[in-house]
Amino acid sequence: MGIEDSYDVATNAHACGYIVIRKTGREIMIKTRQNIALTKNSSWTNSLYKHRFLYLMVFPAVIATIIFSYIPLFGWIIAFKNYRIGLSIWKAPWTGFYQFKRFFIQGDDLVNLLRNTLITNISSLVFSLVFACAFAILLSELRYKKLGKIVQTVSFFPFFISWVTIYTILHALFAVTSGAVSMALVDVGLLKKGINFLGDERFSWVLAVVVQVWKSLGCNSVIFLASISGIPLEQYEAAEIDGAGRCGKIYYVTLPNLMPTLIVLMIMNIGWILSSNLDLFYLLTNPTNRRTMEVLDMYIYRYGLQLNDFSYATAIDIIKTVVGLILVTSANALSRMYTGKSIL
Amino acid sequence: MVGKRSVNDLFFDISDLLLMIFTFIIMAYPFIYILSYSLSDPLKITTGLVLYPEGFSLDAYKAALGSPSIFHAIFISILRTTIGPIFMILVTAMAGYCITREDMKGVRIFRKYFVYTMYISAGLIPTFLVIKALGLVGSFWIYILPSSVSVFNMVLIKSFIESIPKSLEESAMMDGANDFYLFWRIIFPICTPVIAAVTLFGAVGQWNAFMDTQIYNTMHPELFTLQYVLYLALTTPPMDIGEEMRIFITPKAFRMAMTVLTILPILAIYPVLQKYFVGGIMIGAVKG
Repeated sequence: MGIEDSYDVATNAHACGYIVIRKTGREIMIKTRQNIALTKNSSWTNSLYKHRFLYLMVFPAVIATIIFSYIPLFGWIIAFKNYRIGLSIWKAPWTGFYQFKRFFIQGDDLVNLLRNTLITNISSLVFSLVFACAFAILLSELRYKKLGKIVQTVSFFPFFISWVTIYTILHALFAVTSGAVSMALVDVGLLKKGINFLGDERFSWVLAVVVQVWKSLGCNSVIFLASISGIPLEQYEAAEIDGAGRCGKIYYVTLPNLMPTLIVLMIMNIGWILSSNLDLFYLLTNPTNRRTMEVLDMYIYRYGLQLNDFSYATAIDIIKTVVGLILVTSANALSRMYTGKSIL
Repeated sequence: MVGKRSVNDLFFDISDLLLMIFTFIIMAYPFIYILSYSLSDPLKITTGLVLYPEGFSLDAYKAALGSPSIFHAIFISILRTTIGPIFMILVTAMAGYCITREDMKGVRIFRKYFVYTMYISAGLIPTFLVIKALGLVGSFWIYILPSSVSVFNMVLIKSFIESIPKSLEESAMMDGANDFYLFWRIIFPICTPVIAAVTLFGAVGQWNAFMDTQIYNTMHPELFTLQYVLYLALTTPPMDIGEEMRIFITPKAFRMAMTVLTILPILAIYPVLQKYFVGGIMIGAVKG
């Protein structure tokens, strides 16, 4: 910066109500007291008026958010009351922590629910990411680029179709008697009678995880493919000089480069570890496999809207949100500590 | 040494190729199956894993499209898929622009106000009670209004706007453009890529939505969407498909035809979708 330039900065700063102090070659600007007073007098109303169009533009979103996200928070009060349909929220009798006690102490659903929720969520998160990572590596290493393109295009498609269509397909393939797989297995003579994939308790977790991995594989792999294309070629060249084959290059160059992405994605999803996709679990849960398939969200739905036990369902919702919030904040703190980046 | 390495590499290449073909089959076969099944003559299907239509027949499609209830459901689905994203983009894009304006008083508060909703959700029942109190249960607007603000999309739009050089905005402001004009005439047109991506996100979400009908509108058949009718067809095929049709098709063939019809619009715009989604995911990932 030349002398003239710095002079310019100084005059501009003066005009805006700063005094400039030169100290050891660096300029420090300090707002003078007088000028602070000057700007303060008119700032509030002035600034509101000046940006009136901005406030007008943000207004619809603010209103919609209040109505659909913040006002419902006041509904948490019914968890501490005995609220029934038709009753006024204010008139319902207080019950204190009765609903929470019911869930934690009296009821025997807690263990099953937590187990189902955690197992399906953690395994689908881990398997989705690991498979997507492996898929991305194999795709980028494939010699036949055209085939790779086709596989990628096809693998991305399930991400866009609804859970209902996916469940219909599942049903068509795996139903007991009319399912394609059961029919084929019976035809070959491997089975006498079709397997009840969709109703049997033994298959619940596998089913929930496999379906979610299948749907998200292509979508997740995009992130990894982008990371792979960002790896500097020099690293591969250096590995080659050191005598690494293709597997060696993957093991010593690609994988270490993808690890941060993998870990960040896992941390980012920690806050949702108790939340499941209601669309999917509504369709997958049926009376025969409820013991192993029902997750917290489905339980809330069943108690709230099918059994009309509003207070109880809301209490569980509160627990879910609070635990999620604690997890997100801790994950954020962890991420800040180790990577210096905030995930929020 | 060299020989061993190339043998290893060859082995790797072959296993890679086989794995990719396997992935292709796992990903594509379910779709091949439903398509072939829906085009088959159900009475001629003898094997389990169908690979191609056996005894070509379009009866299942005729039955599906001949049912007034399905036709109406398609209409409702199309309606929400068009109105929903337009509403969402209007509300979300304007807010997304506002939260990039550092000079606006309270911009930090607005930002937190929106982002917190991603982590704090009141839950199913409190939301249900509010929506019921608003009189939205049993109305079409339940499909549109609650999804009119999408914070995730707002953040995408915000990140995109932040990547536009500030000087552009400043020069427009010098020329005396007000903020409203500035956004709609200058910022919005530049944002076309992200706006297109977000609109497509919204449209696909609307087309695929299922649970909102199940939660709010089960008592209102006139508001059933195609997804919901498809779900109902899992247990009972619609009653209004016509006597003469019922003789020729099985419930399963009928369901397969409906599934294909439900997927078809997505397939039609899939090339565009894929392109924009990849872009959208990348903006989101960079942000994350």
